[in-house]
Amino acid sequence: MSDFLCHDFKTPRTDTSRRLPSSFRMVPVAFYVALIGGAYFMTTDMMNYKRYEREKLEAELQKDDYDLSIAKTESEKSGLDEETMKAEAIAKWVEGARNVQPIGVYVARALGLESRITELSLERSEQVPANLSFSMRLLGGKMEELAKIESSLSRLNYQSLSPQQNKEEEVIEYRSTLVRRDY
Amino acid sequence: MLLDELKSVLSFAAFRPDADDPDVPWAKRFEGRKTLLINVSRTQTSWRGMGRKGKLDEGGLQDGDFADIAPQRAEEWRAMADGGWCMVSINHRFIISLESNLMRGENCVSLLRTNPRAVLGPKYDRGKRYAVCHHPETTTSLMLASEESMVKVTEDVLRTIGMRPARVCCGLFAMIENTMTHIHDERKGGNPSEFVLVAASEGSLAVVVQQDGQWSEVRCRSGLGQEAVETAVQIIGPLVSKISSGTPVFFVTDGQDPKFRNELMLHLEKLGAQDLTEEDLLWDLLIHH
Repeated sequence: MSDFLCHDFKTPRTDTSRRLPSSFRMVPVAFYVALIGGAYFMTTDMMNYKRYEREKLEAELQKDDYDLSIAKTESEKSGLDEETMKAEAIAKWVEGARNVQPIGVYVARALGLESRITELSLERSEQVPANLSFSMRLLGGKMEELAKIESSLSRLNYQSLSPQQNKEEEVIEYRSTLVRRDY
Repeated sequence: MLLDELKSVLSFAAFRPDADDPDVPWAKRFEGRKTLLINVSRTQTSWRGMGRKGKLDEGGLQDGDFADIAPQRAEEWRAMADGGWCMVSINHRFIISLESNLMRGENCVSLLRTNPRAVLGPKYDRGKRYAVCHHPETTTSLMLASEESMVKVTEDVLRTIGMRPARVCCGLFAMIENTMTHIHDERKGGNPSEFVLVAASEGSLAVVVQQDGQWSEVRCRSGLGQEAVETAVQIIGPLVSKISSGTPVFFVTDGQDPKFRNELMLHLEKLGAQDLTEEDLLWDLLIHH
């Protein structure tokens, strides 16, 4: 196309203002870039925020699961600790009662099939540790069986001193002090 | 007001040329907008729409005085132009004359619009609007003088019907300017030393003769009536008789009246005339320049 530009003799307007220089186009361009950039960052921030909120919720649910499992484990552990303590107490008792254990065995062997020991106690005397205070409650036992018990204890070199026996209906209560004979 | 200015900056409208900025081609001024092109002759008015893509749309033609036609076509024309912007080619009540030693310079075109006396000196007439076309190699110029009252009346009529004229020009003179540029560009090395240019547009006719490398004579007539072809031959005849045989004759019309074009071309063919007319030449010319 040639450089020819059609002439114009229109009545000139008086209300026109000068056009802005082309370099000023940077102003709206910068405005739109800032607008688009702002929208982009807002959108990505919002999306990230929602994603992190979702992740936080998932993490909290996971934490609740872990807390539940920790509580369960701790409960199991405390049960085990309790059992351990009981076992340790039994072990201590077994260790501590090693020299009087034969007494229990001999007493049990001396009883008949219908007799039940409901209570058996062996306590060391504070004044004379070699003596044992023996008490027992028998259910369904007979007086003859007490003689068998004393006889069995004498085989363990224990002599019953001042035995006391009392029978109320089916229950026989027996007390004595076992003195070890050193011969 | 401040809000409007902010809106115009943010929509880049503040950087685009004004609708009536004469230093910018028409299509560039109205990118993405519909406009109306009107060619006003003495006895008829033709019009054509320019679409949003810069292509020509449908148009029309009506016989009669422009002041009578405009109110009748007001609604149709407003629908064809976004914001009512239109271009008017006033194709009568003008004179094209040959001048020499007119001021030339980059700002002369705008100065001719705002202060024609500074450019034309004693040749200036208060009641006229001017346009000039300079010879590319000599000091001669073609000067168009159009009646200022005609221009103002046409602008007022358009404003009355809600249209806004963004350019007022003379289609015939624009065709001469364009064809001269075309002939010069075709020759590359410069103008042919002798030629005759016959230009016609809706009842107006102009003949420019170049001899010895410069424009020697110009004749123009507007408002040719029913006997347009005979009148044209009477104008062209004396001028052609003065030039040597074999001188190139160029013929150009607006491409809207094939009957007139063919009948006149029958006479010009005897002179070996070359028809430079293209379809919708006037409208294309006014849009693209």
